[in-house]
Amino acid sequence: MISSLRRVRAIASTTLIELARLRVFYVLVLFALVLIVSSTFLARISFQQELQVTKDISLGAINFFLSLLAIVATAQLLPRDIEDRVVYSVLAKPVPRFEYILGKFLGVVSLLALSLAAMSVLCLVVLHLREQSALHDVHQQVAQFAPDQLSSTLRAIHVAGVNRDLIGALVLVLAKSIILAAATLCISAFATSNIFTITAMAMVYLIGHLESIAREYWLQEHAAGWFARTFLAVVAFIFPDLQAFNISDEVIGGVPIPARLIVELLGLAVFYVVSYLLLAIAIFYQREL
Amino acid sequence: MTETAIGIAHVTKVYPTPFRRRVTVALHDLNLEIAPGEVYGLLGPNGSGKSTTLKIILGLISPTRGSVTIFGRDNSVVAARREIGFLPENAYFHKFLTGAETLRFHAKLSGLRGGETTARVKELLATVGLTGARDARLSTYSKGMLQRIGLAQALIHNPKLLVLDEPTAGVDPAGSRDIQDLIASLKNRGTTVLLSSHLLTQVQEVCDRIGILHRGRLLREGRLESLLGIENQTELVLENASPDLLDGLERQIASASARLIARRKPQTSLEQLFLKVTESIEE
Repeated sequence: MISSLRRVRAIASTTLIELARLRVFYVLVLFALVLIVSSTFLARISFQQELQVTKDISLGAINFFLSLLAIVATAQLLPRDIEDRVVYSVLAKPVPRFEYILGKFLGVVSLLALSLAAMSVLCLVVLHLREQSALHDVHQQVAQFAPDQLSSTLRAIHVAGVNRDLIGALVLVLAKSIILAAATLCISAFATSNIFTITAMAMVYLIGHLESIAREYWLQEHAAGWFARTFLAVVAFIFPDLQAFNISDEVIGGVPIPARLIVELLGLAVFYVVSYLLLAIAIFYQREL
Repeated sequence: MTETAIGIAHVTKVYPTPFRRRVTVALHDLNLEIAPGEVYGLLGPNGSGKSTTLKIILGLISPTRGSVTIFGRDNSVVAARREIGFLPENAYFHKFLTGAETLRFHAKLSGLRGGETTARVKELLATVGLTGARDARLSTYSKGMLQRIGLAQALIHNPKLLVLDEPTAGVDPAGSRDIQDLIASLKNRGTTVLLSSHLLTQVQEVCDRIGILHRGRLLREGRLESLLGIENQTELVLENASPDLLDGLERQIASASARLIARRKPQTSLEQLFLKVTESIEE
């Protein structure tokens, strides 16, 4: 058991080094960081709006780039190892195939967590500085505010600034990117090129974001029959509802997010990740190298 | 019953051709036994089934029919691979790692730990002559250096069985000679070696037994002496023999109703000549 963990860790850390040295990683993270910083220079009407726009752009950028990174980075892992024959020298050692898949997956997860940490720290620092600046301005103009207007302004700034729900939203962004990485690994376990994997994952991404709209349309606006219901259930079972992990609108609008919702979504993420990984391992065991 | 290092019994490998009724038979009812401590050479032209045989032994692909054992264990059991070191043909490793990092990575996969890994990495880098390049990334290595680091990773856990797929491909004659010497020293230490190669002279020099594969069938197999020896002929190589002695020998041969087929000076091989010339310049 311990030696198995050591092997998985060795594969994961080598995968992380491999991915961290990809230029695409730096371009994506740098682009996201530039977006987050540049959002603070956009013109606003009020303090609250200023913070909301910064939060909106930052969460959007982190969400998009982390999802893109999860798909692009994972798609090339297995095909490259097979093409370069690295997989031969690894699997000729006493390494079961599930350890190899798990190691690769954990390497990607480490990369995603580090990327999220880098982008989140910058996002939180920018938001915190804007919040402090807004509070400072309000305190300087305190004479212009009526007492109840002052307290409501301060409350609005706090709600629009850094808070627990923002952290929850960032955790869900990470969970969504990990689901995408697991699904990508599952497809690349049988795919022969990373172009196929990326194209297939673009479809998964699209379906994952549209299925909630389809569900709402069929089940609520139309009295769907058994066929439509079964079809939607199958789609929901195979493809994760990625839109459910996107709570940015609520966080930006200051709508409180119940902790239970975040726990439930994380549970759903664990279900999909475990399912995709088991499938990836089963496929990879059958694959002739 | 003596345990075999590798036991291949009735192995057939069939590859279906997608969208066609035809199939490709890569191996046809292959039977092979390699004894512990033996150096076995698998010969054959491209597409003869050499790499397929090696991949089946390593568990990278499954046979359609038949079975393979490694020191008595079924090769599909992961534990059987604890005894195997493998050098793939045209070995490519993670180019972003240095030579020492590559060996440490493979040491961890083989279950080596801490001090044992450090000592083994140092020892093997010296063995394959890469101590000076230990901290250089593999992306800067030449093909010969990559082959040597590949050999080092295959030996990292001191395996009882070494499987080498074209071990001297792309290596210069001096490097090739080093690899042959290494195989010979491993044999002296009791390591079993299975190698596939196109270079017949090398195989002849290092192998105890050979098998010739062609179109998935093992056409000939056996000890080199018995396969190459000509039963009714004898070769004498003399040093400092005077012309008189040689003439006398010829007369005796003729009187004994034997036949002298050739009288010539033995020649060195081109490889030996190359090594002698280049080594004398280096000295």
